[in-house]
Amino acid sequence: MNHRMNRWARIAPVAVLGVSLAVTGCAAPGGQATAATKPDTGPINIASISPQSGQFSSLGAWELKGVKLAVAEVNAAGGINGRKLEISVMDDQGDPTVATNLARKAVSDGAVFVFGSAMSGNTLAMAPILAGAKIPEITSGSSPKLATTGSKFLFLNSPPSTVFDQTLANYLVDTKAYKSIAMISNNGSYGKGEHDAFLAALAAKGVTPVANQVVTPDQKDFSSALTSIGQKKPQVLFIGAEEVESGLIAKQARQLGITAIIAGGAPLGTPVYLNTAGVKVAEGSIVSTPYLGNDTDAKTIKFAADYQKAYGEAPEFHGAKAYDGAEIVIKALLATNGAGGAKLAEAIRAVKYVGLVGTFAFDQTGIGVHATTIAIITNGKQIAVK
Amino acid sequence: MQIFLQTLIGGIGFGAIYALVALGFTLVYRTMGLVNFAHGDIAMVGAYIATTFYISTKLPFAVAMASAIICTAVVGLVIERVLRPLENKDFDLMLIGTIGFGIVLEALAALIWGATGSAVPSPVGTQPIHILGIYIPKYDLVIIAVAAVATVVLWLFLDRTKRGIAMQAVAMDHEEATAIGVHVGNSNAIAFAIGAGLAALAGGLAGPVLYVSPTLTASLGIKGFAAAILGGFGNIKGAIVGGLAFGILDAFAAGQFQGYSELVTFVAFAAVVIVRPTGIFGESTVNRA
Amino acid sequence: MKKYIGIAVLVAFGVLLPYGLGSYAIHVANVAIIFAILAIGLFLTMGIAGQINLAQIAFFGTGAYASAILTTQTGLGFWPAAVCAVLAAILIGLIIGIPALRMQSHYLGIVTLGLAVAFTNLVSNSSFTGQAQGINNIPGPTLPGIDLSSEYNYYYLEAVALAIGIMLAAFVVHTPLGRRLRAMRDDDLAASAMGAEVPVLRMAAFAVGGLYGGVAGVLYAGLIHFVAPESFSLANMFFLLAMVVIGGRHNLWGALVGAVALTLMREALVNFATYAQLAYGSLVVFMVLFAPTGLAGIPSRLRSLLLTRGSAGPDSTRVAAYIPAPSLGRGLHAPAPSAPNVVEVDGLTKNFKGLRALNGINLVARKGEILGIVGPNGSGKTTLFNVLSGLYTPTEGAVRILGDSAARVAPYRLSLRGVARTFQNLRLFTRLTVRENVMVALDRTLTRWSWRYFLWPLGVWRQDRGMRVAADALLERYGLSDLADTFPTELSYGAQRRVEIARAVATNPEVLLLDEPAAGLNGEEVNQLRLIVKDIRASGVTVLIIEHNMGLVMSLCDRVVVLANGAVIADGLPAEVASQPDVIEAYLGDSSLLDLPTTETAGTP
Repeated sequence: MNHRMNRWARIAPVAVLGVSLAVTGCAAPGGQATAATKPDTGPINIASISPQSGQFSSLGAWELKGVKLAVAEVNAAGGINGRKLEISVMDDQGDPTVATNLARKAVSDGAVFVFGSAMSGNTLAMAPILAGAKIPEITSGSSPKLATTGSKFLFLNSPPSTVFDQTLANYLVDTKAYKSIAMISNNGSYGKGEHDAFLAALAAKGVTPVANQVVTPDQKDFSSALTSIGQKKPQVLFIGAEEVESGLIAKQARQLGITAIIAGGAPLGTPVYLNTAGVKVAEGSIVSTPYLGNDTDAKTIKFAADYQKAYGEAPEFHGAKAYDGAEIVIKALLATNGAGGAKLAEAIRAVKYVGLVGTFAFDQTGIGVHATTIAIITNGKQIAVK
Repeated sequence: MQIFLQTLIGGIGFGAIYALVALGFTLVYRTMGLVNFAHGDIAMVGAYIATTFYISTKLPFAVAMASAIICTAVVGLVIERVLRPLENKDFDLMLIGTIGFGIVLEALAALIWGATGSAVPSPVGTQPIHILGIYIPKYDLVIIAVAAVATVVLWLFLDRTKRGIAMQAVAMDHEEATAIGVHVGNSNAIAFAIGAGLAALAGGLAGPVLYVSPTLTASLGIKGFAAAILGGFGNIKGAIVGGLAFGILDAFAAGQFQGYSELVTFVAFAAVVIVRPTGIFGESTVNRA
Repeated sequence: MKKYIGIAVLVAFGVLLPYGLGSYAIHVANVAIIFAILAIGLFLTMGIAGQINLAQIAFFGTGAYASAILTTQTGLGFWPAAVCAVLAAILIGLIIGIPALRMQSHYLGIVTLGLAVAFTNLVSNSSFTGQAQGINNIPGPTLPGIDLSSEYNYYYLEAVALAIGIMLAAFVVHTPLGRRLRAMRDDDLAASAMGAEVPVLRMAAFAVGGLYGGVAGVLYAGLIHFVAPESFSLANMFFLLAMVVIGGRHNLWGALVGAVALTLMREALVNFATYAQLAYGSLVVFMVLFAPTGLAGIPSRLRSLLLTRGSAGPDSTRVAAYIPAPSLGRGLHAPAPSAPNVVEVDGLTKNFKGLRALNGINLVARKGEILGIVGPNGSGKTTLFNVLSGLYTPTEGAVRILGDSAARVAPYRLSLRGVARTFQNLRLFTRLTVRENVMVALDRTLTRWSWRYFLWPLGVWRQDRGMRVAADALLERYGLSDLADTFPTELSYGAQRRVEIARAVATNPEVLLLDEPAAGLNGEEVNQLRLIVKDIRASGVTVLIIEHNMGLVMSLCDRVVVLANGAVIADGLPAEVASQPDVIEAYLGDSSLLDLPTTETAGTP
């Protein structure tokens, strides 16, 4: 008896495997998951994928505030022809691989549109998945690489670094006639974009930077890079890095006796840069930005007031461009009557919109805004240069 | 030459901080026999507390630091109570347990203070001292002075006071120590509190030169621990020399290899300890059965 | 029976699982399988071989990056790239393992952690690896007739890899290689004295970690189609460590359960990443404090708790009587003076940091002789044994065993040459059963032989079966059959001493060094010991025995050497030596030599 039981026990796994395989042979799994046709009524699902935790979480927080403000406004006004917009907030933790997982999740959840990511690298990672699923996305990233993916579904709510840095180079070299310019940038997606764009803009003017140091995005001590920059006694120090790192670089540069004027892109115009560097260090920094402040025209004043009311704080560039992005999507969704896919992408490309960060007119690469302004930080505020 | 000196100055400034972190490892190891992988996280917590006092409540820097050291020492007492069962267990369990605790502290810090971190203004002004063509940040001098004083005080405590000697006896043989009347639990609690205070000192001092965020752990903890091993684990002289050596190695690697500095630093560190596993001054052995 | 049903249910579950999963859930399952494979690697390196490896994530990264670079930049197909990537990961494993040859424990932990940081630094800087932006659009694998771009089909590819990974790991753990790794983990000194080539085994442990890391990395690149430095960060290393620790680092199923459970937890808490971190960090602390063997260890802990509460099971501390070999008669006499010298020590000196432990020792032991080595505590007896077994290298002087020099020869080489020993302070492999302890010693092959695991597993299996039979025969003779499946920590002191001797004899030695084998034994056990030693000598083995129990020494040894302060002060027949005035003087205050009569009391330590 016992012996027979044992034999059966040995056969059991094989038998079960056989049965399982037979079942498998009959039908492949996952067939039912395709063609999840959503009804044309009920809420419209859009996803926001951005860092909500980790060292870049402030970017995600700003992004979400801007988006939520615009969505709340449209929902209060009756939504998209009666259908409310629902945002599912997903945290990519600043990790591009997590972002790819979340993009898959958004696809599986049937999102018609994705906001994000606020980080260029994460956006680049998600782009093929969202393009494959025909889901349009608007990123807050500004790496020039974003315009080279060839995806018809990827849009930028900000000018790319090439625009920022062309404007900046024009001002520094043509207007101010600075010749001795040093560069420091990180090798992350954003910093690499800044590095390449600014270097190219200088090269076109026949200027070679006196120093060109590269650091990593999570570096905190720049004394050696700054020491070799200090040796060259540059007139201008260009910083191509995110807010916190820009602030640290500026602060440490002053501690090492570097008196050069600090110049850079949008990060230098944010309160985080001001806090990190300190108001004294930040004074006189030259910023190339499409968003000058919360009181430049009626639109920004209203936006700043609404933002202040909703969140109890003043908005800055990131929140403003996220708001613009959301406004554009809302317009496009109204045009398609809530439909997504290629139709929505075409509708977004067709939107003409004067926003907080500039005039939007998307080209084939997904870039909407094509100009920035030069401002100088004075008493902690960005003052436009005439 | 100028670049060389300037890099050296920068390396010594950071080296002094690594040395303080290494001292904390050393103290806890010498007096408790505990290899505390969460030490860097405690330094991070100390840095946050110091920053909170300094920026939010606008206390003078020295007062903020002193308060942070006391608060972190109290936090240390709590941590020691939780980790007490780990003491006198095998090194592997200690290592894993304290790594786990470090993860907890990092998450807690992110929940309490947010994940983006905060910048700390330098308490002595940003104008550097300019001599012989090199710039010496004033704050670096503060770090070096504080580290030197802390080292001397710690050394006097461990080797010249009865209490300190008794505490080391505990790590050597806690049964023997109990037999001669040392209360092991109290001794360990005090040792850990002092270690936590030292961590807060290191973290708080690092605040104005680095940036206070949950990732401070990675920069302080791992390099501080590596510095302790480089100098000779459990050895005070080793902690100081190891810390300075690591800071200088790091600074020159950053100068020569830019972004690749960590790669170069850690590969060089691995190579040195492969040749000399007990570090520059040899491990001050804690004999355990 | 139960085991087979369990496996059958598991297989069926694995095969049918995708039918119940949505398009995103299957992706999560695919990620979980990859972490499970990775966790097996860490389980083998850390849980089985005892190497604190905090760079497993770098092996994973090497596999992923190598396959990404080869497919996107050299145009190699997925499969050839995969093979190269796995080889690259093994190579990185071997390189990162080099420090393990010189250091262990927390030292190794921090060095490997530093090297893991170095790896992330390398990939976030090199333009080869796409810097911080990573590498995108990595092609997935292809198989004729199966569309692997469907995540459902990819699941089966991964499931097959996992199944092979589990089988290989289970096979390794329970056969000679894994047994030696576990022995090394429990006590590397004893393992090397039993013939385990510790340096080779440590490298093997890292190579295995590299193998699993590489396979997981390749599957990861093929699944996500994207690699970036963050995936291989320290945070993920600690996450992986948490999986293995929470699941149970000494148990294969524990590591797997930990990997799957934590992946699912992280997925469920994806929008609360900080809380997830808090949760798994707290779990690690909790586990280490209250269940150091992890989830997998909880059932057996509960069982032992219940057993000790209720009526105890079979008395596991009893040792049966030794069964003498039929040829005992020969063992009663000392060898003829013409017998060849097996051990020759000539002018041996050993210094420790200025302290002279051995000072110009000369002695010989003839084939088949029982040589007693006595002397007061601290006279250098154990130091002498440590030199003879290769654990210490002599400062000066020559040591020849079986005609060849034994100075500066690794312990495992001496073991293979025929030197076996026991340890004064009992160094059994505590997490190996008694039978496994003996089987480690029975294994006389070189670790090189492990290539058979890949090319001829059947041979490994047959060898293992043979060793098991031999071990059971030996245990039977030593009266340990009932204890074969217990762990040394559950045994009485006397039983552990018996296992030590059985383990040493299992190496089939020419020379046997017994370090205070009677310490802590009762009278009957000492009688048994005498019988055993005489029997061992009868088979032609030369026995050197350090002993404080002078009754035993007098009645057992053919000749006695007396050490004092690291030097030989007497050498001769037991009775002659005992009456020498300087010997008595050396023993002043140590009365054991003076009560010469053969009272068999418990040996004094």
